[in-house]
Amino acid sequence: MTMKGLLATVLYVSLGAAQVMAADHPGRETIEKNGYKGPETCEECHPGTAKNFLNTVHWKHASKVTNVDNLDPKQEYGMKNRIYTFCNGNDIVNNLKATPKNEKGKSKLTGCNTCHPGDHLCDVGSCGTKAEAAVDCLICHSSEYDYSKRKPYTNEKGQVVMSQDRSTKAALAIGKPSVKNCMTCHETAGGGYLIKRGFAFNAENDVHAAKKMVCVDCHKTKDHKIPTGFDPNNWANDGVRLNCSGCHGEKPHKDADFNRHVARIACQTCHIPTTGGAYSKDFTKWTKLPDGFYEPTTLQKDPNKLKPVYAWYNQTVKNEPHFIGPKGSRKDKNSKIYPFKVYQAKAYYNKLNGQLLSMDFAPPMATGDTLAGVASAAKTLGIKKYEPVPGWQTIYFANSHLVTKTKALTCENCHAPNGVLDFKQLGYSGKEVQKLTSPTIYFDKAVQKQKEKEEW
Amino acid sequence: MKKLVSVMIVLAVFGIACLSFTSSASADEIKMVGVITKIDIAGKDAKTATATLKDNKSGNPIEITVNDDLTLDKFKDHRIVEGDEIRCKYEVIDGKNVSKYFRKTAGC
Repeated sequence: MTMKGLLATVLYVSLGAAQVMAADHPGRETIEKNGYKGPETCEECHPGTAKNFLNTVHWKHASKVTNVDNLDPKQEYGMKNRIYTFCNGNDIVNNLKATPKNEKGKSKLTGCNTCHPGDHLCDVGSCGTKAEAAVDCLICHSSEYDYSKRKPYTNEKGQVVMSQDRSTKAALAIGKPSVKNCMTCHETAGGGYLIKRGFAFNAENDVHAAKKMVCVDCHKTKDHKIPTGFDPNNWANDGVRLNCSGCHGEKPHKDADFNRHVARIACQTCHIPTTGGAYSKDFTKWTKLPDGFYEPTTLQKDPNKLKPVYAWYNQTVKNEPHFIGPKGSRKDKNSKIYPFKVYQAKAYYNKLNGQLLSMDFAPPMATGDTLAGVASAAKTLGIKKYEPVPGWQTIYFANSHLVTKTKALTCENCHAPNGVLDFKQLGYSGKEVQKLTSPTIYFDKAVQKQKEKEEW
Repeated sequence: MKKLVSVMIVLAVFGIACLSFTSSASADEIKMVGVITKIDIAGKDAKTATATLKDNKSGNPIEITVNDDLTLDKFKDHRIVEGDEIRCKYEVIDGKNVSKYFRKTAGC
């Protein structure tokens, strides 16, 4: 056997062993013998994990936020309590509950916290041993989770409970979360399939997915704290961050000219030239569906079907009633040009103080009466005086998925008079714009590339 | 005789035009919203499944053939189950309503 052959055999055997180890999570015999009893079974080998998990964003739906304007640094913010016009409600006003009956006499159980990995009796931010026992470990960690077992129902006390799949079968299929585990919740955020973030993480749409990577390969988790980027509209975080350079380094290209761009141009700007999902909603007028329920009127496109806008961003956020988006400028050396999905939505504002009003979705979902939703939310939040007037809010979402290598922007996509970057808007003078949009800066390189392409 | 041949040709051309129109019409996407009343899928390795949807507009049952891996996976692990309301686009291919888009209407 040659040295190469020997190495290949060793590698093959090692990989095979690794796969067997991944498939056979230790503790299999115990689970087979005793069945799965929820977190207490997991805790036999992972003591203290459930308690620690209660302190993460996935359980609390909130955290302290330090990079956003006009927030109280002592408070925690997130899906639990935020009010903005994608989810005009939040876990508090849209707590999982039954809607009123619609014209067909039907009601349904719905709410923002439907995706919370507890049982709803122990809900967003709850704590203590009862909450620890309520964690649905398997929804993120099992590849055999039966989702028909996870649905809301009303118990004999009239409480809405979220059931879980705690079967031995599901428990015997545990491991690192797959794309499916993550996307089951994340793909339907904001009221529909792929409408909020507007990306599909599959081989067709993302170079990382094409390489068989999974979400947690980049969002590499430690102690259930999941690193995130700096999306201007995704505030809650576990205190750990990620960026492209963590894997790709500061000089990711073979071409020095491309590497020079990295100082002021975010990787996403060239490598994520498209976006998708909802780009506008009207929360003041809901659309009636054939089943008699209503939903906010929404304009949306499939992944890759929208173009982003580009702006300077220093990873701090302007947060005003009519605008949530990036802060930064050309002069600010911490700023880079990033792509964003711009989203605009109409909702009700309080004429008395100019603040955006929240909406409980249950009433308009049943009857289309949006002001009844505002009234219900105001009651929950203790707002006694308000005068609802329609108004628009603009939100910049980060554009961080749909990564491409082959369709990345190249010289002429930006440095042409009709390029995707509006240099004037980005703070460049007329003379600089003229220079930046002249073929002089890329002509020789483009000729060389063209020659290489045409050579047989 | 010449007249008869001309009439036959005109009729033939008309017939072919009608047929081609019919076949292109059957290849058009049809949109519907309906509740799943039945899912037939043969085991974990199935490469196809049939879902029956009750059309919200007409109330008629429509049988949809589903071949895409993502939707099949959602049938297998019950992320999509009977009772779910679905937005569906399908094409009629060889007499079957073949799904081109199959998504639950509801989000969170």
